Amino acid sequence: MRPLDPRLLQQVSAARWYVALTVGLGVVAAGLIVAQALLIAALLAPVVLGDDLPRSAATWYLAGLALVVAGRAGVAWAQERYALRAAARTIAELRHAVVESWALRGPRASAPAPVGLTAADGGTTADVRTTADGGLGAPASGTGHGASPEAEVATLATRGLDALEPYLVRYVPQLVLTALVTPALVVVVLGLDWVTAVILVVTLPLVPVFMVLVGRLTAGASERRLATVERLGTQVLDLVAGLPTLRAFGRSFGPGERVRALGDASRKATMGTLRIAFLSSMVLELLTTLSVAIVAVGVGLRLVEGAMELQPAIAVLVLAPEVYLPLRRVGAEFHASVDGVAAASRALALIGPAGAARSEGAAGLGTAGLGTAGLGTAGLGTAGLGTAGGELVLDGISVRAPGRGVVAPAGLSARIPLGSGAAGAGRVVALRGPSGSGKSTAVLVVLGLLAPDAGRVGLLAPGGVLRDLADLSADELEAWWAGLTWVPQRPSLAPGRLRDVVLDGASRVRDPELAEAARLTGLDAVVGALPDGWDTRVGLGGVGLSVGQRQRVALTSALLDDAATRPLVILDEPTAHLDARGEQAVLDTVRAWRDAGRTVLVVAHRASLLGLADQVIDVRSAADPEAS
Amino acid sequence: MTTPTQHLTRDGRPDPLRRVLPLLEVRPAKVAAAIGLGVLALGCAIGLAAVAAWLVARAAQMPPVLTLSVAVVAVRAFGIGRGVLRYCERLASHDVALRGMAALRANLYDRLAADDRPVTVRRGELLARIGQDVDDVGDVVVRSIVPAGVAVVTSLGSVILVGVLLPAAGAALALCLVLAGVVTPWLAARAAARTEARGAAARGEVTALSLEILEESAPLRVSGRFGARLADLDAADAHLSAVADDGARTSGLAAALGALAQGLAVLASVALGIPATLSGSLSVEALSVIVLTPLAVFEATAGLPAAAVQLHRSRAAADRLVELLPDADPVPGAPPARVAPASAASVEREADGAAEGEADGEALLVLDDIAAGWSEGAGPPRTVVEGVSLTLRPGSVVALAGPSGVGKTTLLMTAAALIPPRAGQVSGWSAERQEVGIPSDRSADLLPTAQGAPEARLFVAEDGHVFDTSVVENLRVARGDVTAAEARDALDAVGLGDWLAALPDGLDTVVGTDAAAVSGGERRRLLVARALLSPARVLLVDEPAEHLDGRTADALVRALADHARETGRAVLLATHRLTPLAAADEVLLLGHDALAAPDAPATVTARGAHEHLRAHDPEYTWSAAQEQSS
Repeated sequence: MRPLDPRLLQQVSAARWYVALTVGLGVVAAGLIVAQALLIAALLAPVVLGDDLPRSAATWYLAGLALVVAGRAGVAWAQERYALRAAARTIAELRHAVVESWALRGPRASAPAPVGLTAADGGTTADVRTTADGGLGAPASGTGHGASPEAEVATLATRGLDALEPYLVRYVPQLVLTALVTPALVVVVLGLDWVTAVILVVTLPLVPVFMVLVGRLTAGASERRLATVERLGTQVLDLVAGLPTLRAFGRSFGPGERVRALGDASRKATMGTLRIAFLSSMVLELLTTLSVAIVAVGVGLRLVEGAMELQPAIAVLVLAPEVYLPLRRVGAEFHASVDGVAAASRALALIGPAGAARSEGAAGLGTAGLGTAGLGTAGLGTAGLGTAGGELVLDGISVRAPGRGVVAPAGLSARIPLGSGAAGAGRVVALRGPSGSGKSTAVLVVLGLLAPDAGRVGLLAPGGVLRDLADLSADELEAWWAGLTWVPQRPSLAPGRLRDVVLDGASRVRDPELAEAARLTGLDAVVGALPDGWDTRVGLGGVGLSVGQRQRVALTSALLDDAATRPLVILDEPTAHLDARGEQAVLDTVRAWRDAGRTVLVVAHRASLLGLADQVIDVRSAADPEAS
Repeated sequence: MTTPTQHLTRDGRPDPLRRVLPLLEVRPAKVAAAIGLGVLALGCAIGLAAVAAWLVARAAQMPPVLTLSVAVVAVRAFGIGRGVLRYCERLASHDVALRGMAALRANLYDRLAADDRPVTVRRGELLARIGQDVDDVGDVVVRSIVPAGVAVVTSLGSVILVGVLLPAAGAALALCLVLAGVVTPWLAARAAARTEARGAAARGEVTALSLEILEESAPLRVSGRFGARLADLDAADAHLSAVADDGARTSGLAAALGALAQGLAVLASVALGIPATLSGSLSVEALSVIVLTPLAVFEATAGLPAAAVQLHRSRAAADRLVELLPDADPVPGAPPARVAPASAASVEREADGAAEGEADGEALLVLDDIAAGWSEGAGPPRTVVEGVSLTLRPGSVVALAGPSGVGKTTLLMTAAALIPPRAGQVSGWSAERQEVGIPSDRSADLLPTAQGAPEARLFVAEDGHVFDTSVVENLRVARGDVTAAEARDALDAVGLGDWLAALPDGLDTVVGTDAAAVSGGERRRLLVARALLSPARVLLVDEPAEHLDGRTADALVRALADHARETGRAVLLATHRLTPLAAADEVLLLGHDALAAPDAPATVTARGAHEHLRAHDPEYTWSAAQEQSS
């Protein structure tokens, strides 16, 4: 473990700036500490020896001491003032990078390696999981299995990174002081009393030696602890999310015990780490305090023998604890810092590979200009890409289903003419196939979110050339998306007022249009039943709305899109959750789109929707020849 | 529909930390022991400084070496004692805290489990509360209670030591300690409180946005909202940083005052001590002690600002946790509120099979003129559907049909006793059997040990949770002792046989968070398979056919019906798909009377066998035909 990851300084400007400030303050602090010791010695020594202390000199010394006190208060103020700000900004920068790079990996990114620990740590992680889970055989627990990468990244982005705050605010300054103040003070002590300087020089290296030794012992354990704690978090959340289900089965009290057991396992794992981590800090405290005692006794004995002056003796006595203080604080914050470093290194590991993928631009997952281009490219590339009036070409698409031993879809080929937004150019295209045949996966491929394992998917502009979706630049891919509307299989809504959620920023939509769209999808009945109607707040994932109601919201939102700019609509299983009347509403909606000149690509189950289709594409799955 | 009802009055409520702390099940003796160890450790540090100061001043007068030997030994002993004692204190206090966190999480879970209100907190919020908030409450032991106790005791001791030597210096030290130990922490806590209060919304927004971007990245990117959402996250984080920056002004002041207090104590000792020594009223050794000791004493108060901040943070966290808790149950370790009354009876039935008393006419569940609806904390209770009567006997299959939102789910939840009926009576086989009385010694033998009690009635929710674990463990949610063979049979019955065969690890294959790697239809059938494995005698199944193509859906409903008839269970299913209902004994069509007021409850508009309704009810006929047409 590195106490200060250079990548953190390279990639996070807030951290870089903060460390520079801390170094500056450390230099000032060192000077003030020396001045304080010398002034106290100069004041005390003559009085103790009964020598004459001129009144003017005493006044000057006291004034100097007062200045030093004020100076030290100032340094403390500046350090605290800017540490918190720097920590918040560093965390924000890292969170942004983690969230962005993970989100851009696309669906089904099963990437345990980059999320988890390095290869060398893999084995020990598994060990801890076994230990933590050992003997806790309750069901619904994820026994023996880690949480999914998605959940782990979520924990890291929301909670794991917070470990950086104590690390940056408390550990890093002490680390800097250790590097600056300690050597400076040793030099000063050498000038005052060479014997003490020798004691310091001999004992000081012991401290880092022990730190490295113990650090090596605890580094793995601490990373495992972070993993254990995160796993505990996700498992407990999994249990809480499944609480209604467990309640229905009358099983919710068993998992209560399971939560207790998980907590107990976590406590034991943590205490095991702490026993070692604190052992290190005990050795540090023992070494440093004992060294101060040795210095004090040595100084005292040499004073008795008359081998030393009192004034440097007092100065040395005041300075000796200050020499060791930064080291002791580093030791005290050590175990907290490990969490921070581990969180930072996991975040940096997550960001790293994505940064590499970014430059490749493979599979169209490039991010160039995402922050700025998110909204700006809508009108730009549509014509060039040929969304309107072009043709979507699927040629032998096959996608291996992760962990299921099948290829779904297998060898899917089709040509789908795209609408132009002009009346009469509309078309309904249905994807047909049994459950699990890969219809939803085919949609992900068409969207360019998932690169097929075999085959090609491309766009044929009117009278133009065929462009592979895989070859599109980030901007072009966004232009492709800007020309379509997608209602996914399980629509989940942004939190907010229902009206805002449905409109999603489309402020041009007037109330009559909204009401008309809601009538068509049956959302009007839902709105009528809500306590505040259109102003009802719905939560993340549509809490408070049933799955069917959520679907209606998503459909209504999709209906309000501009047909000309988005000539393609992709509906994934739109009839799920809808009853016969609701289905009729969907049919009417689909017809309305077709009449508006849009191509509607639907994942269809029902005969009625298939009956509406101008073109039916059969989707099949096949056994994976490479699966054993 | 499910407006959170937990917005309690904030005024007049007791300190949330006091309410939550008992849930940590902390033992006071352990805390006292940790404080005692901490006092001894810090006492060593102060003792070392004081004795060393005396030693140097005395040695400067060149007395016989022997007169110094006690001081020399004491200095060395203090030097050793400090590290060892501090190690013991830290282990003791962390152990207390970690135990507290584990206990709090479990107690919280039990409370949530016993609470019948739906969990309405956002997912990100819930993650934050169960994770960070519990940690914050637990940290109060390590970071607040123990350091504060240690600081109070050692400060008092130091003031007494210095005060005995020179009362004025003692008074000055006491003042400075108050500045460093009371004013500074108060300022720091106030800064933290302001930051917390103003940053809470931003923090929640950051968490929710992070989760939304991570979970919804594909739809967000395709709809072109990804960049905007990322910008939203940046804005929320910038707001959070601004709030932190603002709070840092005050905490910077607190840090400055802390450093100032120590310096002032030394200054005061010098300014008061030197004249006293020159006038002969203070020995030179004592002067050395009162000047040099304060340099060590302030280590006691150095941690107090952080302790005060932690106290505040813990209180805020406790407040959020209290919101999750049901209104009134302050007793820790309270017995689970809702254990199925009929567990023993139901298992006995399983064991005895179709033994005596299993007359076909015996009703397993009777709904008598039920009105169902939600009673919400805010606003008037709303009856969604009323006037429903039905009887479920062993092997009977009854279907509730009707459009989305008509109240099918609400009715099922009422039948499952998850929400109380607004009117009418739900009576079940379980209640009757309990009145008859089952000998308790027998039931103890029959209960599956430590696996939780099975309900007599089982509600299979539309969005039931698929846990982040293997297929077989997900099925064992229904019953802890499900064997691999039973699991296979159940999956076969719902048409997942081929799916299972294709899984790389078979029953041990892990299905991901929220089963994202499982298709909608597979997920749905997995939930039904789980229901089939439960020991419940009555299955209340919500929308079994959703996400399935017509043929698979119909086969699934038929499989459910066949299963019910074979095992003598009863099935009440809610569905909007009518075609497979030929397999049901009776269909209740729910709907609104066209002439009724717009917000009137739905009623049973028609009932009877599928074929009968198809022949006689035009609306039913039309709806069924819609499903068939092509």
